[in-house]
Amino acid sequence: MLRDIIRKEILDNITSPKFVFTFLLCTILILLSVYTGVTNYRAEKKEYTASLALNKKNMEAQPNYNSLAGIGIKVSKPPQVLGTVVTGIEEAVGRVAPVNIAADPDLIESKYGSNPVFAVFGALDLMFIVKIVLSLFAILFTYDAIVGEKEKGTLKLALSNDLPRDRLILGKAIGGYISLLLPLLIPLLLSLIFLIVMPDISLGGQDWGRLLLIFLMFFLYLSVFFSLGLFVSARTSRSSTSFLVLLFAWVVIVMVIPKAAVITAAQARPIPSVHEITAKKDAYLQQIQVEGQKSVRDWVTKNQADAAKDPKAWQDKFRQYLQDYQQELTNKIDQNNAALERDYQQKKRAQQNLAVNLSRISPASALTFGSMTLARTGVDEYDRFLASVRAYKPIYTKWINSKLGQSINFQTGEQAKISLDDMPQHVYEQEWLSRSFVRAVPDFVLLAVLIIAFFVGAYVSFLRYDVR
Amino acid sequence: MLEAINLTKRYEDGELALDGLTFKVEPGEIFCMFGANGAGKTTTINLLLGFIPPTSGSALIEGVDVAKDPLGAKRHVSFVSENVMLYGNFTAIQNLDYFSKLAGKRNLAKKDYAEVLDRVGLQKEAFDRRVKNFSKGMRQKLGIAIAVVKDAPNVLLDEPTSGLDPQSGREFLEILVQMRDKGKSVFMSTHDIFRAKLIADRIGFMRKGKLVMMKTVQDLAHEDLTDLYIQYMEEQPAQAAAPSGI
Repeated sequence: MLRDIIRKEILDNITSPKFVFTFLLCTILILLSVYTGVTNYRAEKKEYTASLALNKKNMEAQPNYNSLAGIGIKVSKPPQVLGTVVTGIEEAVGRVAPVNIAADPDLIESKYGSNPVFAVFGALDLMFIVKIVLSLFAILFTYDAIVGEKEKGTLKLALSNDLPRDRLILGKAIGGYISLLLPLLIPLLLSLIFLIVMPDISLGGQDWGRLLLIFLMFFLYLSVFFSLGLFVSARTSRSSTSFLVLLFAWVVIVMVIPKAAVITAAQARPIPSVHEITAKKDAYLQQIQVEGQKSVRDWVTKNQADAAKDPKAWQDKFRQYLQDYQQELTNKIDQNNAALERDYQQKKRAQQNLAVNLSRISPASALTFGSMTLARTGVDEYDRFLASVRAYKPIYTKWINSKLGQSINFQTGEQAKISLDDMPQHVYEQEWLSRSFVRAVPDFVLLAVLIIAFFVGAYVSFLRYDVR
Repeated sequence: MLEAINLTKRYEDGELALDGLTFKVEPGEIFCMFGANGAGKTTTINLLLGFIPPTSGSALIEGVDVAKDPLGAKRHVSFVSENVMLYGNFTAIQNLDYFSKLAGKRNLAKKDYAEVLDRVGLQKEAFDRRVKNFSKGMRQKLGIAIAVVKDAPNVLLDEPTSGLDPQSGREFLEILVQMRDKGKSVFMSTHDIFRAKLIADRIGFMRKGKLVMMKTVQDLAHEDLTDLYIQYMEEQPAQAAAPSGI
């Protein structure tokens, strides 16, 4: 009997105009989003490769270490292949982090920054389609699942047989869910094929694992709306009421809660503005520069007598002094910046955590954070990359300072030509899948809990449902 | 056999929908229940189908107490409602197949369904047509076909002839007579005194949840049913404190 109900539910759904409409729209949107993602990724990859080559060429073209120290090095953030399905904050944050002696590294040159019109409409990635469009479809498939049958009189007719209600709700849930998945699975499979055959897209073993987990999260998210739809449908006596309630719930879940959580967190845990921090850093830098000039003048005055005695020895001594002092000043700047940054990051993280935790009441936020974590396109990935660049900065500055000290010829004023052979390279290790998964577990759990809660609610409500 | 014993239903808002209703529909009998809207006819059917629990009294189907064993009782009853829409995207045969399976009839073939649909008077070209394009009469025929396929010994009909054209109405009555002749107990709530007069073996009048009159067709042989209907619907007769004819 359960099989008959499931079969009927599937057949009833797939022969309905809403299925045809959903299937067509899903196919178009999913394929379009993946195509857009792939196109973007290829462009970003090309840009990344070009940026690396250009940076190297630019550095090599510098006449001496002094000018190299002036321009610094640009560390480019590699694009994430799973950004093709979950863009995350990739386009909003910068792609390049300039590293030089004075400034604290930060990511700049975001896509939205270079072309703000992108920020207006946002990315049309698969996660967006699932979060906004497909969740509405899940509602469309379930808002009248129970109450619609009541209105048609078929519920009464079905239950006039010796048919247990639990079997009917179970059959309807399974059949309805399969019907919802059908228009999704086919375009998703096509998308996967598309990802496989595209020449510039190479998915490693971990990427496949990540992709499967992301898809699992998509299905869980849609199941939340599906079971919510069943629940509301089993609590109302008119399908129009059910639809309105679900629409209201959808707006609150998808639109209101995530934004309200961010606003609440900003009010509850305020952080200083970036300008404030930059101003503090600049003020300290100026102070250090003034102190530095004075110290150098003092050192020259103090050691002037030695210059006349043995100019060669004096020059060596002065070079060593400059090298050590430059390093000392750099360390001071770094320490000050690091302290300011630590404080800022601590406050920002506290605000961020509060916003994330508050918004996690909404399955839309759980989907967003979970899928971004799995695709490595979220805030954490950005923080990790920036932290790696910041960790690289002292290594780089130590190297450039040593080169600066060694390359000046005080007699001729000439400086040695640069060589990048021994320049330390920035190394960025991507997060392992197991670690990402552990971080995404709370989101999986939350979605699972919501599914169970809504389904149990629907089940219990239907057992007591007034079929008249 | 269908039986109501002192069946009472009071809703949560305090409304007394059914007040000590007692009747019995024997095998091979058609019992037509009249009453204005809100008189308690549909409540009686809902109680017999176990959709709502009684406040007191019992509803029995083939001797099985519906409140105690609703699934066991419903095994023995078919139901035809007033205006069932059925599954609009399904054809007549697909609808029939689904409800037959719910009724436990698993071994029927398409030709069996076609035979039943033919018997209830549905045109052959409509068998494989989507039900959403059906007229009310066609849907009612399909509804009765569902009841015929279930082949339960008891049949409950809730105002099944409302909105039917004369031809469909006549065909519908013929099927009910066939059911009676097969020994089924048929309980029909209706406003349609003209059609009921043609097939009923017994007639009851309900008013404010009470059965105020019940007569056999022989008792009514020399009475005008229309006059009786108006009399019982408009004003409860003083002598009807206990239902007359019971």
